[in-house]
Amino acid sequence: MKKRTGVFVCHCGINIAGTVDVKKVADKLGKHKAVAHSEDYVYMCSDPGQNLITNAIKEHKLDSIVVSCCSPTLHEKTFQNAAKAGGINEFQSEIANIREQCSWVHKDKEKATIKAEKITRSAVERVNKNESLEPISFPVTRRAMVIGAGIAGIQAALDMANTGYEVVLVEKNPSIGGHMIQLSETFPTLDCSQCILSPKMVEVSKHENIKLLTYSEVQEISGYVGNFNVKIKKNPTFVDPDKCTLCDECTKVCPVLTSDEFDLGLTGRRAIYMPFPQAIPATYTLDDKHCPGLLPIACGKCADVCDPGAIDYDMKPEIIEEEVGAIVIATGFDLYEKEEMGEYGSGKYPDVLDGLQFERLCSASGPTQGEVLRPSDHKVPKEVVFIQCSGSRDPEQHCAYCSKICCMYTAKHAMLYKHHVPDGQAYIFYIDIRSGGKGYEEFVQRAVEEDGVVYLRGKVSKIFEYNGKIRVWGVDTLAGKDIEIDADMVVLAQAMRPSKDADKLAKLLKISIDKDGFLQEAHPKLRPVESVTAGMFLAGAAQAPKDIPEAVAQASGAAAKALAILSQENLFHSPQVAKSIPNLCTGCGMCVDVCPYDALSLKNGKVEVNEVLCEGCGTCSATCLRAAIEVKNITPYQIYEMINASLGG
Amino acid sequence: MVYFGNLKAKKGEIHINKDRCKGCAFCVEYCPHDVLEMSEEFNVKGYHPPYIKDEDKCMYCQLCETICPEFAIFVTLKDEEEEGEKSQSRS
Repeated sequence: MKKRTGVFVCHCGINIAGTVDVKKVADKLGKHKAVAHSEDYVYMCSDPGQNLITNAIKEHKLDSIVVSCCSPTLHEKTFQNAAKAGGINEFQSEIANIREQCSWVHKDKEKATIKAEKITRSAVERVNKNESLEPISFPVTRRAMVIGAGIAGIQAALDMANTGYEVVLVEKNPSIGGHMIQLSETFPTLDCSQCILSPKMVEVSKHENIKLLTYSEVQEISGYVGNFNVKIKKNPTFVDPDKCTLCDECTKVCPVLTSDEFDLGLTGRRAIYMPFPQAIPATYTLDDKHCPGLLPIACGKCADVCDPGAIDYDMKPEIIEEEVGAIVIATGFDLYEKEEMGEYGSGKYPDVLDGLQFERLCSASGPTQGEVLRPSDHKVPKEVVFIQCSGSRDPEQHCAYCSKICCMYTAKHAMLYKHHVPDGQAYIFYIDIRSGGKGYEEFVQRAVEEDGVVYLRGKVSKIFEYNGKIRVWGVDTLAGKDIEIDADMVVLAQAMRPSKDADKLAKLLKISIDKDGFLQEAHPKLRPVESVTAGMFLAGAAQAPKDIPEAVAQASGAAAKALAILSQENLFHSPQVAKSIPNLCTGCGMCVDVCPYDALSLKNGKVEVNEVLCEGCGTCSATCLRAAIEVKNITPYQIYEMINASLGG
Repeated sequence: MVYFGNLKAKKGEIHINKDRCKGCAFCVEYCPHDVLEMSEEFNVKGYHPPYIKDEDKCMYCQLCETICPEFAIFVTLKDEEEEGEKSQSRS
């Protein structure tokens, strides 16, 4: 039995009508034997356009519709709703894309019109065999997980926890705080970074809805939006935080001296250590890579002096399983390594620092208690050269992108240096100054006018050690002169890159990364906090270089998106999913192997579909040699009919 | 480069009583930083005792002293005033 299909052809202003004779398409399709009604309209997606569809369904007793318009990614939902309003099942509505796939890519009106007719006709054939379907409903696990506890992760966790939902916050380092806790002062207001972040960190540690897992990494994940099952490996710290009284006796006896990660190698630490005084959780961590005590015959000095007996060399990694409904990924950034910068000494000169090291040097709680000193001889540097875009905006050798924050933090560094060493001289080499942001431009101007920082427009070609100083060869393109400066210290504004192992995590979570390794958002403009995988959201510098206010804003956005899932008891999934035909299935399992969503499994020698996991991609259907599995409403039979319609006449 | 702060590497001295050594090489095997190596020379008992190959690497953990079955090697620590460990100096 043929259906009574309605065909609605949209002009989209001149987007379609400019290249396609829409009236002709509507007329031709009107003659199709399955089509009971056809018409065209200037903007089908407008309210009058939708009403026109709804009314036509009622008036002509249509049981299915085809709308010839733009891509289904844009208005499929609109017209499904219009169909529903007309009283027919929403899956009896199909889109024929005659804009992106026809009018926009062709010039010849006559041929484009024929193509538009064929595209529409094939959609009519498809809708003819469409079943009426109902969305699949499934319950939601109403708790969330945040991966990464820098400022973005902390903000997202607090936002969600404050609305009453439980949050699991996972951090791979021994303490939360991320890179922000390493900073000295923040632009453009110069407030102390630790002072504004540590209250949030304390809130996290005391929050009844936040379960904090530090020194932990996500190992495995399964499930789908609303119901993820995450396996987390909690690495052993070898110290029981409940027993530890923070007496600090252990670090006094530990014989190991190694470089401190928190101070980026500017200070040393013992093998047993607390990352920094405000660390949360406030406890010691025994670094098993440097500790000799974990060898079969042990050093054991720290355990000997530990009165409460908090040190346990036999502590093993723990696997923790968590069920969550939504995940926010805030894995942050690392600096592009100085070792990569051959032209700037490959990291071999101690007085050539990167931005974060200089932050530690300026920090009141840093290695020098805020005094700016050269790492090599601990003397006050009198001339400091700051080099912007070190590794950024250099597609030939380094990173092609702009790291966004370096203009601002270099201005801040130069300013802080001048505040610490008023008789010193600060030079900044820059390509452009990008100070877009509230109060940012004024901040840069303040560095120039009030603090006398010398800005030189040009790149530095080489730096090398010369007579105990760092000789900088650069150019001032505004004056047209070569510049040679014998500096006491050089600070490289290293590019931001995604944090180490973010790519591995992305692979694990099945979210995509962009060409630079940052996490890919679902849409660059309209869905900037969502990943392409439903239920996973992005926050902070893991998605792209950004400063603190932007990271915080995105974190709150991601939290709001995650809450939209958690606040519902049930979620709905498209019913256009794979369906197996058990009589034809031989249980060969080829479809199970190719399914990218792990939605298929074999049970009693037959394939079974987990409808909630299935995204209806059709890979299984294309792989099956016996047509024993097909996607609802796009079955092999429908596809043959569509091909027929496209090729015929 | 010298680290900022007061945290210093431990100082000490390694003493080898060559004539007590029976050449088991436990100390060489278990030294976490490969400070020791067996020598070519003979002691009074006719064994090869270890010698200090690279004292700069030594962190004076005294592991060699702990495991030597013959009490032939021991470490003395030089008492250096280590005022203000990193974590204290910052508080």
